[in-house]
Order: sequence, then C-alpha cells, then structure tokens
Amino acid sequence: MSISTSIWVWMAALLTLMVYSFLYKDNPFYRLAEHIFMGLSLGYTLTILWYNYIIPRVYEPLFLPPHQWSLIFPILLGIMTFGIFSKKYSWLIKYPLAFYVGGYAGLRIPLLLQSWIIRQVEASFLTPDKFTSLMSSINAILIFAGLFATLIYFYFSKKREHGFGAAAQVGIVFIMVAFGAAFGYTVMARISLLIGRMQFLIHDWLGIM
Amino acid sequence: MGFWQRFLQLDRKWIFLGIAIVVIIPLIKPIGLPIKPTKPVIDLFTYIDTLGPESGPVMVVTGFDPSTMPELMPMEQALLRHCLTKGIPVISFGGLYPAYIGMAKMAIDEVSADFPDKKYGEDYVFLGFIPGVSAVILSIGIDIATTFGNDYYGTPIDSLPMLRGVKNYSDISLVVDVSGTSTPEYWLMYAQERYGVNIGVACTAVSAPAYYAFLQSGQFVGMMGGMKGAAEYEELMARKGYPTGRRNATIGMDSQSLAHLLIILLIILGNAGYFIVRRGERRRGIIRRKR
Amino acid sequence: MILLLALAFSISAKDTPDDGGGSITVNVYNIPEGTARIELSRLEKGDMLYKEAGLIPIFKGECDDASVVDGIGYLYRGKAIAKDTFYIAEMEGFVTSSPQWFNKSRITVLIFLILFGSVVLTYIQLAKKNPEGLFIRKLPALDAIDEAVGRSTEMGKPVLFVPGLEGITDAGTLASLTILEMVGKKVAEYGSRVIHPNFDPIVMTTAQETLKTAFAEAGRPDAFNKDDVFYLTYEQFGFAAGVDGIMLRERPGAIFLQGYFYAESLILAETGYSIGAIQIAGTNATTQLPFFVAACDYVLLGEEMFAASAYISREPRLLGSIKGSDLAKVVLLFMIGAGVIFGTIAGIAKQGGNPTYMQIFNKMLEFLAKGAK
Repeated sequence: MSISTSIWVWMAALLTLMVYSFLYKDNPFYRLAEHIFMGLSLGYTLTILWYNYIIPRVYEPLFLPPHQWSLIFPILLGIMTFGIFSKKYSWLIKYPLAFYVGGYAGLRIPLLLQSWIIRQVEASFLTPDKFTSLMSSINAILIFAGLFATLIYFYFSKKREHGFGAAAQVGIVFIMVAFGAAFGYTVMARISLLIGRMQFLIHDWLGIM
Repeated sequence: MGFWQRFLQLDRKWIFLGIAIVVIIPLIKPIGLPIKPTKPVIDLFTYIDTLGPESGPVMVVTGFDPSTMPELMPMEQALLRHCLTKGIPVISFGGLYPAYIGMAKMAIDEVSADFPDKKYGEDYVFLGFIPGVSAVILSIGIDIATTFGNDYYGTPIDSLPMLRGVKNYSDISLVVDVSGTSTPEYWLMYAQERYGVNIGVACTAVSAPAYYAFLQSGQFVGMMGGMKGAAEYEELMARKGYPTGRRNATIGMDSQSLAHLLIILLIILGNAGYFIVRRGERRRGIIRRKR
Repeated sequence: MILLLALAFSISAKDTPDDGGGSITVNVYNIPEGTARIELSRLEKGDMLYKEAGLIPIFKGECDDASVVDGIGYLYRGKAIAKDTFYIAEMEGFVTSSPQWFNKSRITVLIFLILFGSVVLTYIQLAKKNPEGLFIRKLPALDAIDEAVGRSTEMGKPVLFVPGLEGITDAGTLASLTILEMVGKKVAEYGSRVIHPNFDPIVMTTAQETLKTAFAEAGRPDAFNKDDVFYLTYEQFGFAAGVDGIMLRERPGAIFLQGYFYAESLILAETGYSIGAIQIAGTNATTQLPFFVAACDYVLLGEEMFAASAYISREPRLLGSIKGSDLAKVVLLFMIGAGVIFGTIAGIAKQGGNPTYMQIFNKMLEFLAKGAK
C-alpha cells in the first residue's frame, strides 16, 4: 500500500468522500463539495470560452490586423440575445432567434429526414440476405414486428379496437422490453461511475491495487 | 413483523453498503471473469485494424467531461493506442464543448508517453476546442485548416506534416466520437449524411440503446457502449498482442458483474417479497388502494 | 531516379457532381505498389507550367480540387512517388467546373419533405375549419388527471406540477403548459391548490399566465395564488433537491411530472412514490421514460404528450401536426410492407433464375439511399 503524496490527489479524494457522505444523510461537508463544484465548473467554462473563443474569434479578428469587419453583424446579433434579461428590450432577441431557428431548421430538417427516417426505412426492408442464419432471421423478424407494432401503438387517429388494439398491445410489449433494456443499461452506467471513483480512491489515492 | 415485510422496508443505506462491498472487494482481489467481445465492438475494432500508415487519419473526438470519465476515458485511450500501434495517423480533436478539452489532453498525454517513437505533428496531432457544435462539424467538411487555424499548441495547421493533404472529411478514414452526450447524432447528421465520412461511436451505457438502430442500418460502423464496451476493446487489443496499458475497464468488470448480480438478486427478492406480503394481506382481508 | 511512364497508372477528372461549383473531382487508377504518396499538379488553360494542387490520398485514389474557378479549363497530372522511382499520369483533355442548380442526390429528401409537409399543412387547414371533425383518441392518462386531482382534493392535499428542465422553446415544455391548463381548471373546479416550482424564469411567467387563465375560465379567479408558481433554481440537482423538499413537506396527493427531464427524473419520481402520491408523468426525453414507467402510475410516452396537448387544446397547428404525422406513419408502414413483399418476391425470383425483380428492387434501395456522396 503506498498512499499518494500529491496534494491534488488528496484533495480529489477528500472531495469524493465529502460528496459520498450524502448517502448517509445531508450534511455541511456535502454542501461544501457541491458548492465548490458549481463554482469551479462555471469558472472553468468561462475561462475556456474566454481564451478559446472570445479572444481568438471575436477580439483578435476585429481589433487586430487583418480586420474582419464582416464579423460585426453576427457579433451584434449575439449581443442582442442579452436583451432577454430586460423587460424593455426583450423584443431584441427575436432577430437573432429568427436567424438561428431559421438557419438551424433549414440545415437540420433535411439531414434529420435522411438519417433518422429514410435510412431507417431502407434498413427495415426484409430481404432474403437478412436470413443467412437462424439468429439473424429471428433478429430480422423481431425488428420488423417491433417496428410495425410500435408505429401502430403511436397512431392516435383510430380507437384501439379489435385487431388494431391487439397490434397496439404487442407494440407496448416491445416498448416495455426496450425500456427495460434502457433501464438496465443506465444501471450499468451508474455502477460504472461508482467503479471509476472507487478505482481512483483505491489505486490513485491509497495505492492498494 | 415477518421477514418479508422487514425486507421490503429495508433502509436503502444497507443496499448502498452492499453495493460498495461488491464493488470494492473485486478491485482489491480480482476474480478475472472472462470478457467476450460482442459484434458492435468487433466491427469497430476490425474497421480500425484494417487501416494502416498509408490510410487517411482517424479523427478521435473527445466528447466527455469528468462525470463520465470512468466509462469513456478507457475507450479513448484504447482507440489512441490502437491507432498509434498500427501507425495510423491520429487527429485528436478536443471536443465540441469547453469541458472536454481537459479530458482530451489527459488522454493524449498519457497515451503518447507510452509511444516515445511517435512524433507529434507526424504521427498524431491535437486540435483544440472550437465552439459552434454543428457549425464546427460542417466546417470540417469544407476545410480543416480554415476551421481550426492552429492546433492546441498554437502551431499553424498548414505546418503540420501529418495534415498536409488532409483537407476535409474526404481525406479522413474514420471519425470516432467518444461521447457522453448526444453528439454522435450531430456527427451522423452533419458529417456522415452530408459528407459521407464513416462514423464510429464510443458512448456511455445510457446512450448505447438509442444508437443500436443506427448500427443496424449501417450508419455507424461500430460501437463501444459503456465500460463493458471499453473492456471488450481492451480484450481485442490484448488478443492481437497490441499494447493495452493499464486496462482500467477490464479491471472494473469484475465489480460490474458482481454489482449486477446483487441488483438482480435484490430485484428478485423484492418482487417475491411484494407478492408474498400482498397474498398474506389478501388472506387477512386487507384491501390496498387500487391505482 | 528513373522516370517511368507506366501505362497502367492513369488519371481522370470531371466536374464534381451536385455541387455549387468551384470543384473538380480527380481520380487515379492502378496505383503502383509501393507508392508513398501521390502529388497532384494542375495546368490552367493558357498557362505554361503545372502548379501544385495538393496530394491525393492513396487509400481513396480520389480527391476534390476545390480551388478552381468555374469556366476555366484545367489539365491534371498525378505523380506517384515510390521509394526509388516515380510514375506520371497525365490527362488528355481540359476539364472545367460549373455549379449545378439541383443536387440530384437529395431528391428523396425533397420528395419526403414535400409529401409530409403538404400533408401536415393540409390537416392544419382542415383543423382550422373544423377542429371537432378531426378525431384523436383519448389517452388513458388524461382520464387519470380527473381521478388524481379528485383524490388529492378528498385528502385535503395540494397538487404538485413540475414542468421539466427545458426552456419555453422546447416542444415538451409547451405541451406541458397545455396539460397544466387542464389540470389548473380541474383544481379550480374542485377548490384545491396547485404548486408549480420552476427551473426557468420565462416558463414561470408563462405558467402564471396559464394558471390565471385556467382559474378564470373555471369561474374561480380569486382562488388563484400567484405565489404558488415560483422560481426555484437554474441548477439541475439543486432543482431536484428543492422539488423533493416540497414533496416531503407539502405531501401532495397528486404529482404531475410533465416536460423535458434529465438525470434527476428518477430522484423526483422515487420521492413522489415514497410519499404515496398518484404520479402522472409525461416526457419527450426518451432516455428518462424507463424511470417514469417504473415509478409513476401513468406515463405519456414521448409523442403521447403532444397528442394529449392537441386533444386538450384542439389548437389547429397541434391537431394538424398530430394528424399529419399519423398519416406519415401509415405511408411509412405501407412503404416498408411493400418493400418487404417485393424484396421477398425478388429474392425468390432470383433464386429461380430471374434476376430482373432483384435489379429493380436494388434500384429502389439505391434511390432511397441517395444521400451524401
């Protein structure tokens, strides 16, 4: 066992233990760690933005040669968004929002349609080459059935009666199985984060493993 | 009060203690459970393994902050190690949000220290954070040099030997987004659909279920999901005899498996207890509010 | 160094298709073994000397020269450099670049956009003329709203409504405000109270107006308490801690978790479950749906939230969008079904020695798959 002699490792370890103390009950140590984290993350983000964005992308192109005066218009639009904080000038945000929403929607909608719908529809076609083995055949049929039933579940223009209702019931089964898988994956993710912290405490701090 | 009623009212602190024990003990005394690589990870590994020094560079995008480091840092390091071992040129991109650049630097510094024969600027480059998210992804498709200007250290892109002849996505073999958020969807839309570059994903376990649809349709070449995905990639690296460094994800898998077993046991016992107690109450004529 | 004009190593160039001009696509073929790099040079019509135009990636054998000017003729030369030798490939005729008016690779996207867009717009117009004529089935969770508010009033407890963690521009938050209006009317009718903590100050302002209107429409404008709609904090887990505190102190009989949530969703739902409240959740955050389904009594899954808000408000744009997307689903289902049937017939015919149907099917898939080059 070789305990770390680095002050930063000790600081990280102590802050970790302070946050985990919440598992027993809320206490001042946890609140201290929480407030340090909030202040630190904000300060870090602002510093990165200042040195990586404001200085090289706004200040230098504008005020140092060669001057890129064309940046004035987008910078003005950006400044107008701060109007949201004033009741009198909140109308100013409509202009940058118009550019942002319009441009973003125009860019995103065709690509979203292509990647999320058209490509998925193309991949859903059951073709003989998807039935190369027993597992791939079962997989292909399950995906097809799940897709159909789930789309029927989310169809709102018809009452759930007879065959349509039965198909919707199959749909909800597929949806619940998907939710179960997602829940399980999330549990795995949270345990992984705990394992990561424990690895840090045991290996980096205490030097046990 | 019967056993099952006491069990159902168990204070959650005991559960926390149980999880802590099953996580800590295997870290101190490893069991060595086997790791079986799955198809999504094998696909990603195989794709990169077929590349070489004459291929276009692989762009490894760092998309995580310290909150998801345990899952994603092993993935990023494994990817960088794989590329450097095979001599594939690597562009390490510090990410689309400010919090990610520190993680990217940590990864590239640790991995490059294990490859002293690899030269910065010739075998790998490190590009810094550029704000804009989708605008950055689109801009890389036009011209990398114009998008970034300089690398993380302030060196002009044009003077980096590795990036001579690498103008945009058409010169890049693969983009792998190591992400704890939904940025793979942006890379899919703006890079893959718009410019046709191949995309691989290394994501947290929370995001993995959503990306299986894109794997199935072939829009992603492969995927690492969660710490298990990282452990599988490390296993594939080890099987090929590539240097793996400290296999942090593999080390954690024993704890992961035991923790899962404990949770499954608690779920089974909890449900059994619930039905047993309810049956007992029905027998005694206690009717619970129907929801 | 020996200069070799290898006949096998060749080069061709053409105007880059489906672009805005200023680009020529250069291809090299039969790259000699051992080539370390391929240098590309370009001769402009009227010039005497070739100029450097970059490198061609060996793994692709193709590159786009995006530094050309439209209308000017260019001749390209590729130089494949190996260890002790190099190979030259030259073109014979000049090639020019030009812009195209229409990107043919995006034709499928255009067809889908026109189809779905016109369907949605048509339904919106129909909804404006006759909102009651467009049928949307009632969702079970909406029936539960009555039960939940009624139960809460019987127990003498307030109703808690949490609007999620996104701003006013999020679709889920807007749907949540429509549901809030319905809940507000019920609460006013029953003479109960609704507590509405907020993450976003603009959502808070909008919620105040919504509830004020709801109470007025129920005939109880005096019963609305502005202090029941308040701002908590803009910090995610601070907000979760604050709402948990409200749940534990006020012990509401019914809890509505409607809007866009992140990782704090399970914390909120669990605490609500532990105090024995009826919980009705609804979110368009698909990653959080499993937690709500596990811990809440009723859940509006994703699009059901928007359908619920369309059902409640009968607002033409909401109604038209839901009906339009329903029709789009039917079209997609038919497309997939037709694709499956035709693909199966094509596969069987191909095995029987007739590849024609499979060729047609592959062309259909190619047409759908047309996207980025």
